[in-house]
Amino acid sequence: MSTRIKRGLAWGGALIFLILLPQMLAINHINTVVQFAIDAAFAVSLNLLLGYGGLLSFGHAMFFGVGAYATALSLTHIPGLPLLMVVGLGGLAGALLALAFSPLLARVSGTAFAMLTLAFGQLLYVFCLKYREITRGEDGIGGYPIPPFRIPGVLTVDMAVPQHFYYFAMTILFLSIGAMWFFTKTPFGSVLVGIRDNPRRIDYLGFKVPHTKAALLIFSGAVAGLVGSIYALLHNLVSVDGVLSIFASFNPIVMAYVGGLGSFFGPILGSGLIHGLNEITSRYVRYVDLINGLVFIGMVLFAPGGVVGIYRAAREKWLQRKLSRGKGEKIL
Amino acid sequence: MSPTIVMYITQALHGLAYGMLLFLVSSGLTLIFGMMGILNLAHASFFMLSAYFSYSFLQVTGSFWLTLLLAPVAAGIFGVLVERFLLRKVHARGHIAELLLTVGIMLVILELVKIFWGTESQIIPIPPALNGLINLFGLEYPLYRLFIIALSVAILGFMALILFCTRLGKIVRAAVSDAEMLDALGVNTSLVFMLVFGIGTWLAGVAGVAVAPILTVFPGMADQMGMDAFVVVVVGGLGSLTGAFMVSLMLGELNAFGIQFIPKLAPVLMFAFMAIFLCFKPTGLLGERE
Repeated sequence: MSTRIKRGLAWGGALIFLILLPQMLAINHINTVVQFAIDAAFAVSLNLLLGYGGLLSFGHAMFFGVGAYATALSLTHIPGLPLLMVVGLGGLAGALLALAFSPLLARVSGTAFAMLTLAFGQLLYVFCLKYREITRGEDGIGGYPIPPFRIPGVLTVDMAVPQHFYYFAMTILFLSIGAMWFFTKTPFGSVLVGIRDNPRRIDYLGFKVPHTKAALLIFSGAVAGLVGSIYALLHNLVSVDGVLSIFASFNPIVMAYVGGLGSFFGPILGSGLIHGLNEITSRYVRYVDLINGLVFIGMVLFAPGGVVGIYRAAREKWLQRKLSRGKGEKIL
Repeated sequence: MSPTIVMYITQALHGLAYGMLLFLVSSGLTLIFGMMGILNLAHASFFMLSAYFSYSFLQVTGSFWLTLLLAPVAAGIFGVLVERFLLRKVHARGHIAELLLTVGIMLVILELVKIFWGTESQIIPIPPALNGLINLFGLEYPLYRLFIIALSVAILGFMALILFCTRLGKIVRAAVSDAEMLDALGVNTSLVFMLVFGIGTWLAGVAGVAVAPILTVFPGMADQMGMDAFVVVVVGGLGSLTGAFMVSLMLGELNAFGIQFIPKLAPVLMFAFMAIFLCFKPTGLLGERE
């Protein structure tokens, strides 16, 4: 069997599994799967910056957060807004925020980028915490109506049913991960990897480095906003500590790093692993976050490529052994 | 004195006390930045950790003065261990790995503190000798805050003496400006890194103990100080002690008068300050690097 057919079969299998999943699970588990998909898509959007652009963002939650707030606010104040437009607004809010900050952010990289994103993220956090009239601070905005998914004259799907919401959310998240996958495969994605590895050389080749970084930032911000919007629809509650705090920014970093920054699917694997770890540890001990932190430190110290890196190293070793054994036979 | 003038002087003194504490924290942060090229995100965690140490030491020993001596040293030793056994291992792999490691350390310290001391606020009483108000030319001012100002000035004077008048200070300043060159000259830079990291966390620890009776001790107590120290280091110019000193005092006053006149905007004020400042001078006040 060729790799292409194998890959196609694996994808098809995964797709069928995801389609059948809500039929097999209890309602609260369905929402756990959606939450996992949200984390995965968020971590992938962070990895676009970190793994592909080499830009470590400590404030990625600000894009996620404005997406969530845009959704919550528009649903609270504008009655009768269609569902897809609400989600689109979330993406637009993330993109606009990234656009607003990009003149400052696109010029820097490395530590300076990390620090500036941290500062902007905290700025937004404190701002939303203090402007209680709009954001209701720590209490958060909740209880807004979730509109049904409606194609006029064709069908209306009620989003209050968890299974229905599952299909809607998973489709949106799947499409955004697909869009990011496509993004990394375009020539533009290759230029990004070039900027990560050697920005000066890319500059000499005639590419505009800050503009490219700004475009990446806006795309990543838009996806994060979109994902934040799905978060707002899932939880029906958006609070500053949930979506804008510094821990909301660290979470996807931990997930992406545990999975492996060097690969596209690493962050998805990482969020799966962290979710699984949390499910197991929360049954036995109270200190779930401590274990996450220790796992993260262990990964940074001993496995810089994450789980994907460990797998790649093991496979390389295995292939080399096979190769050397083959050579040995020939010589004999 | 008229009440308005009293208010101005009181707020100015409050600002001075906060600014001095801020400088205790940010001086270590800026020195560590100068050497390693990273902002240590776990720095404020040591500040919090030291406050918790002081709470426990105070319960065991019962003496505030002994606590003031011991708790920061314990935090400093913890800092040295973190540098020696964690940060040094990833130093060769570059800044992003180091930054991520400090994030991990920050998360772990926060969780450990919650496990050992719980999440509720612990109250540390102001020592009796420093309790009460003092009359300054007709102005009633809390004695403990004056003590904080005096303590900070004394420690900073001592540190400045070491830094600018001894051979060790010369080596540290050289490490901040160019660690590789210093290494090539035959100085054991690993040891210098460890020492400066330890002293930096010790300074943050002193601030943590000093602030504990005013702020009470809780897991989120380092949040504001941490962000403020970070703004100080960025605006003051990365690695510049003098810049950090000036900006610390500016921020302290900005904070004190901001709370007085525009309470709602006060927390946003310092970020606005930073953003405006960096637009005009991206390297910070006295910095040479981005």
